[in-house]
Amino acid sequence: MILYLLRRLFLLGFVFIALSILAFSLAYLFPGEAWQNFSGLRDVPAAEMQEVIARYRLEHGYLSQYLAYLGRIFSGDWGLSFASQQPLLKEMLPLLPATIELAAYALFISFVIGIPLGIAAAIKPDGLLSKAISALAVAGYSIPVFWWALLLIMVLSLGLGWLPTAGRIGVLYEINQVTGFMLLDILLADSPHQQAALYNALRHLLLPTLVLATFPTTVMIRFTRDSMLEVWEQSYIKTARAKGLNRAQVLYRHGLRNALLPVIRQIGLQFSTLITLAMITEVIFSWPGIGRWLIDSIYQRNYPAIQAGLLVVSTLVITVNMLTEILHTLFNPLARKR
Amino acid sequence: MPRFRLLPDEQLARSPLSQLWREFARQHSAVAGLILFTAFFALAILAPLITPHGPYWQNDALLLLPPSWSELGLVQYPLGTDDLGRDLFSRILVGARYTFGIAVITVIGALLMGLLLGTLAGMSRGVKSSVFNHILDLALTIPSLLLAIIIVAILGPGLLNTTWAIMLALLPQFVHGIRNAIAEQLSQDYVIAYRLDGANNWQIFSRIVIPNIWEKLTLMATMALSTAILDIAALGFLGLGAQAPSAEWGAIIADSLDLIYIAPAGVAIPGLLIFLAVLSVNLVGDGLRTAAKKRREN
Repeated sequence: MILYLLRRLFLLGFVFIALSILAFSLAYLFPGEAWQNFSGLRDVPAAEMQEVIARYRLEHGYLSQYLAYLGRIFSGDWGLSFASQQPLLKEMLPLLPATIELAAYALFISFVIGIPLGIAAAIKPDGLLSKAISALAVAGYSIPVFWWALLLIMVLSLGLGWLPTAGRIGVLYEINQVTGFMLLDILLADSPHQQAALYNALRHLLLPTLVLATFPTTVMIRFTRDSMLEVWEQSYIKTARAKGLNRAQVLYRHGLRNALLPVIRQIGLQFSTLITLAMITEVIFSWPGIGRWLIDSIYQRNYPAIQAGLLVVSTLVITVNMLTEILHTLFNPLARKR
Repeated sequence: MPRFRLLPDEQLARSPLSQLWREFARQHSAVAGLILFTAFFALAILAPLITPHGPYWQNDALLLLPPSWSELGLVQYPLGTDDLGRDLFSRILVGARYTFGIAVITVIGALLMGLLLGTLAGMSRGVKSSVFNHILDLALTIPSLLLAIIIVAILGPGLLNTTWAIMLALLPQFVHGIRNAIAEQLSQDYVIAYRLDGANNWQIFSRIVIPNIWEKLTLMATMALSTAILDIAALGFLGLGAQAPSAEWGAIIADSLDLIYIAPAGVAIPGLLIFLAVLSVNLVGDGLRTAAKKRREN
């Protein structure tokens, strides 16, 4: 297991190096001068130009420039944003938790709804219930997320007036940012209106989470169902039944534990799609997350921001990928042997 | 001429393709999906010939005409017109070319490139294939929208540039899938037997590998097609893909979003069509998957 972890860690290092090379080369690929894209400064007085060149080692070769870039990344100097002229790292830090919060709740909902539905669909594969669930899953899998979001806004927010359409919390509430996770911050805040703020934040959260959860839920249903059906054919299930265990016992002790293994892995593989969908959802619901910030950055041609966003978002996806892979190996002794 | 039954089981004598079709045709949902898919495909090819009005032709006497089923509508404009007096029905027909047709082209391009790279990776061994694998792992982790944003930042917005972005985003999964499928085939005993008969790499590839993996290829292509349609529409909606006057479905939705109260048809109908297009692809894909599984079991 330790050997396995070391190999994974080595791989992780390799992927990060490749990622940083990609982010570095974007400074040259994007329009504009490389020093502009590195620093985020639009204009530099001619007198200070020498200093900029020395700072980004532009007179040296690419390798030296790349090493300088790595040094700046690790020391936290990520350059300025073209649009706001603020340090990028400082600008991104409060945005990232908002995206993680949204994605995490959506994933959670997809577990809670998707896995039981998938199991229910696998019990009688040709039954009416199973067909209905499968039909629902195909529909949810096919619906374009932005259109689905617009439909729900039209019906639930504008038509019925039940839920707010935009933002994380009503403008009346002022919540200090401590962790960046809205619900946690409200619980940490010492305010007489805590209850009301929590209720308000949950109402804001409901619609975006519901929209974002649609795709992972359907993926969960499909995967749990397929994997359940496959496990159900195995001979150890027959053995367990022959031993005299009843259906529920077989399902819990032998069926689920084996069937949910590939599902864990699937979370990691689907995470990058989830982030793509989260970006679109954030734009529609004006959710102040990193996805909306990135899409705003492309409208403003804010190249340093795109570069930094690539690093942060990809690191997030890679980390989640790696974690699910390690979890999968931890639970599945068969995968450890390779 | 009398027919002899040489084989005891008639089923086994059929070609794999006709066995697959038999299993496929038994599923109603899959056949419905196929009909819908064919309709979209035909529409993407024939759209300019059957539009009643020019999709970009602006009639300033008829701005924001409601659909023909409402009392104020005209039968010549079945779905009404938009705020520039363009016929929505014609625009939507032509939109099938952009959203659906370009998605098909994108997938075919990605499939061909993936076949080339996946074959090279699957047939090579050692350090070369391991390095290649890790690069693929990296490419798989960059979200497709982020990749599209980067490519738009480098090349500028436009339908053609986002086509490249989507092709690049689809490529890793093709290469990965094809590489694994080929590696699985190469470890089979019949490949070794064929090699012992003196077959070279090309013969093994064309006579054994390709006939054995085409089913998987088709499945991969249908999955990629549904992603491609959704991505093209999403990029059009965000204004990064197809640009304003173009009749791409996502762009039409973005265009009519500010008039959603007055003319909800402009948002509802293109969205419904995107949904139906993706649904048809997914139904065909699911049907194929089930049929392929059943055929192998028999």
